[in-house]
Amino acid sequence: MSHIGREFVKILFQKRTYFGWVGLFLIPWLVTIAMRLSNEGPPPPGEGGPQFVFLITGNGLYVALASLLSLIGFLLPLLASMSGSQTIAGEAENGTLRTVLMQPVRRGALLMAKWFVANLYIAIGLFILLASSLIAGGSIFGFDRMLLVTGQTVSVGHGIGLICVAYLFALVAMTTVVSLAVAFSTLTNSGLTAVAAALVLVIIMLVLGGFSVFDFLEPYLFTSHFNAWLDFFSDPIDWGPIGDALANFAVWTVGLTLIAWLVFRRKDILS
Amino acid sequence: MPTGIQTPATFEPTLDSCDDRPVVLSAHDLTKDFKKLRAVDRLNLSVCRGDVFGFLGPNGAGKTTTIRLIFGLAYPTSGYVQVLDHHVPHDRQEALRHMGGFVEDPMFYGNMTARRNLRMIGRMRGEVDEERITEVLEMVGLSERGDSKVGGYSHGMRRRLGIALALIHNPELVILDEPTSGLDPQGMKDVRELIRTLGRQGTTVFLSSHLLHEVELVCNRAAIMRKGRVVVQGPVSALHPTANAVKILTGDQRRALEVLRGLVGAQGVDEDEEYLVVRGGDELVPEAVRRLVADEIDVLAVIPAVEQGLEDMFLELTARPEEKGPE
Repeated sequence: MSHIGREFVKILFQKRTYFGWVGLFLIPWLVTIAMRLSNEGPPPPGEGGPQFVFLITGNGLYVALASLLSLIGFLLPLLASMSGSQTIAGEAENGTLRTVLMQPVRRGALLMAKWFVANLYIAIGLFILLASSLIAGGSIFGFDRMLLVTGQTVSVGHGIGLICVAYLFALVAMTTVVSLAVAFSTLTNSGLTAVAAALVLVIIMLVLGGFSVFDFLEPYLFTSHFNAWLDFFSDPIDWGPIGDALANFAVWTVGLTLIAWLVFRRKDILS
Repeated sequence: MPTGIQTPATFEPTLDSCDDRPVVLSAHDLTKDFKKLRAVDRLNLSVCRGDVFGFLGPNGAGKTTTIRLIFGLAYPTSGYVQVLDHHVPHDRQEALRHMGGFVEDPMFYGNMTARRNLRMIGRMRGEVDEERITEVLEMVGLSERGDSKVGGYSHGMRRRLGIALALIHNPELVILDEPTSGLDPQGMKDVRELIRTLGRQGTTVFLSSHLLHEVELVCNRAAIMRKGRVVVQGPVSALHPTANAVKILTGDQRRALEVLRGLVGAQGVDEDEEYLVVRGGDELVPEAVRRLVADEIDVLAVIPAVEQGLEDMFLELTARPEEKGPE
């Protein structure tokens, strides 16, 4: 069994794995049912939340976008932090890290397998969110041609394709958070400390991005690029912000994973 | 100093020290610092093929840190460990292919069965078939609980499972840290018998233990560690107190102390909890007994130096004040 296979089996034996996935399955249904029961129409332009959330009642495709928009700011980073922090710190806390490292394994290969499986957990979670959104939206509101941000409409198939690409983008964004949590995970023997550290840093970045006085930092904060997937829903697609976001995520991911590797390869396992 | 014992001043881990048997495990000036604390201090050690080697020391002596260094879990500040031809930490992965064991409390995935744990972790070093898993579970007395989740295991059962994992690939070197800790008397007996069997089969066993009696029962060689250093090592049968002290128990210890202090040739007389300890050698025994009898003091017991065991040596070496410690 490869490292990746073994790590994947390990997460399948953990109850918290299913709590996260079940949550991601339920949220689109809650959004859909709430919109079905609500009689509210869209707020006047310039007030309230994103207009397209209110398009859900006319087209179930928007459930997938509303779910992603509402979760990418907190729940998805939380799950990514939890997933990444369990890689090293969680195992160190349980004492199983030393059992594993007393076997003839390369630390770097083990770390990368853990990193990969932590991301796979998020990928499966996003797939569940997407599938659940499409099923809930389609079954309650039905599908129709999708109205883009720039005013054009595209076919249902084209719309689903764009939604899939947006979810892939979200996965890349969450890879950055996973990498951050993995890096913290190599620095502590407490899973909770690693989760908290990663999540606090994400929240600090979100706060910094919320004040114009810190605008000069915005291009460098990965959280500022979380919603760049909305640019997929323009015609033509605005690749500038998307490219900037992907470059930002790549730099953070590579940098943080490199830090994790440098720490872990020489870490004394004392837990 | 009895023949065969090596103190740090004389000890060199060469083939000679193993009577032409290959050295399976050796430590070479192994040192580990944790900030200002030196946990392991220029430790030298050699374990020969087929040894059941006892590794003794008081709490905080550095035994567990040494085992972590042997397994490559911690990185030495200086020095290295050699397992057969492989250096740790540089060639840690290859060294680990020849070793099995555990350090401290062996931990497993609690939400999986013992069998699945053995299969999953065991396969990290090579193929493991179900028959072998069944065999090692039987060896450690867990065959009936092999399909139970490890989360419900007691401390002692996890130790047994740790031993099963250590043995699953028949390694040449088995390192066990307090293997009988938490076991009931029958479990302790079974594990000791298992260790003796491994030794008879030619497996080298490195056994860290607080239980001196256990080491005397199962080990052929031993080392005593104190403040990060091995202060003595050699065959267990030759490990006796270096001070060559005679222990005497009388019917009136207070008067006997006065009498023995006047004994010609005695280098000193002390009281321990039970006995009077006369330093100077076994040749003092006849004269000491004559004096005590002449003063009408009942002599209840005399233990010559040669009959004092590992416990006396352990206490002598580990209780020795810093300034008198061996260099």
